[in-house]
Amino acid sequence: MRRKLGLGADGTASPLGLIIKIVVLGLVAAIAVWAAFPLIGTGNWLGLAVLLLVTAVIFSIYLSPRAIPAKYLIPGTLFLIVFQVLPVLFTLSTAFTNFGDAHRGSKDEAVAAVEGSSVQQVPGSTVYTLTIATDGEPGSGDIVFLLTDPATKAAFVGTADGLEPLNDATQNTDGKITEAGGYEILDIAEVSARSADIVEFSVPTDRGAIKNQGLSRAFEGTPQQAYDAGCDCVKDRTTGQTWTANDDDGLFVDGQGQALAQGWQVNVGFRNFAEVLTNPVIRASFLKILLWNLGFAFGVVLITFALGLLVALVLNKPGLRGQRLYRSLIILPYAMPAVAMMLVWRDMFNTDFGLINRLFGLDVNWFGSAPSSMFAILLVQLWLGYNYMFLVSTGALQAIPADLTEAAQVDGARPFHAFRTITFPLLLVALAPLLISSFAFNFNNFTAIYLVSEGAPFPPDNPQAGATDILITYTYRLAFGGAGAQYGFAAAISVFIFLIVATISIVSFRRTHALEEIN
Amino acid sequence: MHRARALVAITALLLAGCQAGAGAGATEKPSLLIWTGGGPGGEATQALGAIFARENGVDVNVQIIPEDLQTQFVTASQAGRAPDVVMGAHDWIGNLVQNATIDPLQMTDDTKAGYQDLAIKAVTFNGQVYGMPYTMNNIVLFRNTALVPDAPRSMEELVQKGTQLKSSGKAQEILALPVGPTGDPYHINPLFTSGGGYIFGTRDTGDFDPADLGVAKPGATAAYAKIRALGEGGAGVLKRSITTDNILSLFSGGKAPFMISGPWQLPQLQQTGVKYDISPVPPFEGGQPARPFITVDAAYVASRGDNKALAQEFVTNFWSRPDTGTALYTATSSVPALKEALATVRAGDPLVGKVSDAGVEFGQIMPSIPAMAVVWDPLGKAEAAVVGGADPASTISAAASAIQAQIK
Amino acid sequence: MAATDTLPATTGDETVVRLGGAQGGWFRQVGWRHLVGLLALAFSLFPILFVVSAAVNPLGTLSSSELVPTGASFENFRKLFVDTAFPTWFLNSMVIGLLAAALSMFVSACAAFAFSRYRFRGRRAGLLGILLVQMFPQFLLIVALYIMFAYVSDLWPAVGFNTRTGLLLLYLGGALGTNTWLMKGFFDTIPKDLDESAKVDGATHAQVFFGLILPLVTPILAVTGLLGFISAVNEFLIASVFLTDDDAKTAAVGLYGLVSEERNNNFGVFAAGALVLAVPTVALFQFLQRYIVGGLTAGAVKG
Repeated sequence: MRRKLGLGADGTASPLGLIIKIVVLGLVAAIAVWAAFPLIGTGNWLGLAVLLLVTAVIFSIYLSPRAIPAKYLIPGTLFLIVFQVLPVLFTLSTAFTNFGDAHRGSKDEAVAAVEGSSVQQVPGSTVYTLTIATDGEPGSGDIVFLLTDPATKAAFVGTADGLEPLNDATQNTDGKITEAGGYEILDIAEVSARSADIVEFSVPTDRGAIKNQGLSRAFEGTPQQAYDAGCDCVKDRTTGQTWTANDDDGLFVDGQGQALAQGWQVNVGFRNFAEVLTNPVIRASFLKILLWNLGFAFGVVLITFALGLLVALVLNKPGLRGQRLYRSLIILPYAMPAVAMMLVWRDMFNTDFGLINRLFGLDVNWFGSAPSSMFAILLVQLWLGYNYMFLVSTGALQAIPADLTEAAQVDGARPFHAFRTITFPLLLVALAPLLISSFAFNFNNFTAIYLVSEGAPFPPDNPQAGATDILITYTYRLAFGGAGAQYGFAAAISVFIFLIVATISIVSFRRTHALEEIN
Repeated sequence: MHRARALVAITALLLAGCQAGAGAGATEKPSLLIWTGGGPGGEATQALGAIFARENGVDVNVQIIPEDLQTQFVTASQAGRAPDVVMGAHDWIGNLVQNATIDPLQMTDDTKAGYQDLAIKAVTFNGQVYGMPYTMNNIVLFRNTALVPDAPRSMEELVQKGTQLKSSGKAQEILALPVGPTGDPYHINPLFTSGGGYIFGTRDTGDFDPADLGVAKPGATAAYAKIRALGEGGAGVLKRSITTDNILSLFSGGKAPFMISGPWQLPQLQQTGVKYDISPVPPFEGGQPARPFITVDAAYVASRGDNKALAQEFVTNFWSRPDTGTALYTATSSVPALKEALATVRAGDPLVGKVSDAGVEFGQIMPSIPAMAVVWDPLGKAEAAVVGGADPASTISAAASAIQAQIK
Repeated sequence: MAATDTLPATTGDETVVRLGGAQGGWFRQVGWRHLVGLLALAFSLFPILFVVSAAVNPLGTLSSSELVPTGASFENFRKLFVDTAFPTWFLNSMVIGLLAAALSMFVSACAAFAFSRYRFRGRRAGLLGILLVQMFPQFLLIVALYIMFAYVSDLWPAVGFNTRTGLLLLYLGGALGTNTWLMKGFFDTIPKDLDESAKVDGATHAQVFFGLILPLVTPILAVTGLLGFISAVNEFLIASVFLTDDDAKTAAVGLYGLVSEERNNNFGVFAAGALVLAVPTVALFQFLQRYIVGGLTAGAVKG
């Protein structure tokens, strides 16, 4: 007999279970309806389709007699897709563009910005005292500027057609027009409501146009540079200089190869990836940095796990007096803001004034030589990270049935032997994925390097590759240390780094048999 | 004083809170959204925003962005969620303009005339004024007057006095000048320029020229030879162990008779009780003038804000008022950019006047072209290496080629 | 006490006892554990002393050359609570931290149950996938999240920028991750015979999960809950982009706002705030430990 979709289809029979299910599915439906209105309102049909699909999937999963694992996986998976997978995909897509500072928007936006930022006051022109008004209703009438020449107190009205004298205007002592027949003077709230229209509005004149600057002043200005669609270029009105659009780079470039500041985003294909592979700076130091990066990530996992596990084992004796307090205070470093604590540590390693040198009577320039700088970084990470390992080890130790070790002891196994052969392998099965993920985290642990050594020491002849740089700090310097952030390039680098980490992680899974164990 | 400021800040908070509650639904009061960085300047901006709100019957929401305001502002502009006004240092202008995120301001000659020349020059980019300056800063020499009554006229004199004090046990260090493990080109700039170096040359228009990189010129090597002589292998005046984090405790604790830093240290110093005075950073004997960088904080109108007319009103008419300038001085101890505000401040606080005088006489504007972003990191590392004893010529030329490779 | 003393513990402590060749001696029994515990405490707490020192030092600098503060006062704490919106920030942090911890623990436990108890297509790929997705360098994702939430904020302001709900949803994106693996490993240690026999007795999958499995895994729930709480309370990068309204900020964002300017004198206030913020974490862990030492071990002791 095949059961159909239904609230009790998967065997939910208790009244409480049914009620909970009804409430939860009702909530899902309510949220879907709530989310649908703005989508309909803005005509976002694709979004609406996705919303309907997701809702339908949720309902069918929870009403179906089968797909039991999906019932447990769907909430987490939804969040994972929306907040982790989608951003990764977006980032990947930028790797094929020149997205970055000066290349964020479209060509139209760049043109508007070039023209807008070249507007200059017409030489010798008047700066008017302004009152913003409308011809007709404040909410809907055409915008007009009521203008006074501060020198002569002559009044004008500026419309989209041009400037005309205004005769029946009342002015206050500053010359600002407070009343004019036929026009509605806007108060500050009305001006704000019409903000978008006012930005669009200008009064054309022979030499340019009158624009407002704030609420009470207007000037006659003209753009010095204008885009010409015929030559696909930008021309300067006074000097005649031209900058031609280069759609490969997303820039307006003049004859000497000088570009205007504002560019736009274009697709560059695999150029960013090729750049990563052929960049001489990257190639020169890549291997050395990768080696230390691996050493750093493995080293941190090893020492934090070793110390964390040791302390967890030692304190894992039932009935140990003060056990709770020990545990709570040992995790305190984990509860402190890591950024601030790294700065505290950096200061402790200071050559002349740092506590470590003074305490041990040393004169070590910790960040002056590669080995000492590496040591300092590892010690800081040990302090920041062993608490986490302590915590998860403490939790995992509770899962190891005491009768296993008991049995081993009855067999005459020595306790350390029992630990090594029984407890530790069991722990490792439970914790191997955590260790691998800790490795992956530390492989890209930007702040651990940047806030402690910044990659120092640097060889005097190469300010770009420090002895304690890891790939992410090193490439960060390349992608963001230039004249503006290059997100496309950084995304391409990220892809390579991801491939390295993922490969190592998968190999480690194979090695630790963690994947085999999950069957 | 503190209490008054706290009160103003709390009032601003309350206002912001009411607005958040009332924002939805009801016919909206016009509102202005301002982004600013943290610290005392951010708190003062909140208080001033409340004043503008009251005077104009609008809502002003001043949000403090603690992390990387410049990048966040650019990202928000791109995503269509820009604030109306953003506060930031003048050296952001190049990047903000290339991302089409801020509008030029049309400043009347009268308004311009009210400002210090350097302040207007700093916010001018490609011939346009982009920001309304409010405070400016430059570094100066602080000296402990109990140990050194008279200001040294040259670096050599400073070193000599400091060495005497050190050998007689009255001080442990000669000069608290931040270098740090990766260098600090901002703080070393007076010595760098006095030794004959410069970073970027200027075009006839006054704009910085990225093609004229002074770091690659012989003057830079000569300057760093002098800096090396002061370093760890030489006189021991400059040390990588001295950082922005410990200069204040070195100086205020009497361990170092001299400190090179800016007016932002003044509120702290006054609490410590150490006796001190301010003078310009001295040059090398027979060298060029020692030029500190001038940095200017300015208010910018966002290109993609929702309420541009109100934003322009706030920036051009409110933010340029003398009382606004003095309020910001009170919070930050920085030099007001407005002449009238500076005159008021100088009368009550001669130290800020001395900072300003040093800046006016010797200062040079910190370059705001995007290429400047490339310079800091390589040049700083070269500085740290040379202070540690590396060869100036090869180190500086490595830095110069790294910089040139990235300017393109 | 006697029972626990003779209990064959799960650890290697007997090594020492046997090596010593005798059953006696307080030190050999537990004393050395206190020694290790105290050493670990010293290592953990020592750098925090600087934070304490900065918090009570009216001259707010970060400098380890001044371990002994030049003065001692609660001025920084007073400023923290009176001059800043810290009470609001703190409250936001607690609400977001507790909710994020509880919800992500639940979501994660559900997934771990499916991975541990069921065999289905895509299971291995799914398990591997949730780890691999987090190996993508995170520092670029902020821009993508921002652009995404700009859309969300326009459509649904209730879960957009400056809302607790929105940030909470964002944090749940990380619910499937290493914690799922940790829980799954723990679930695997519970014999399947238990749920098989329950099912024979007519229990549904939901009854097995909520009634049988979850009570048995409280230690790991407590651990993941605490981990979730700490990471949500200390999370800064995403929150600083997401929360710009002063009233919506979490304590981590608000506190960094005090020291974000390089030239500042607020480090003392920041230090005071960091210490206050650590208190709930320690308190929560104190509270949760009863569940950590409960669970399976408790059962074993009784057996």
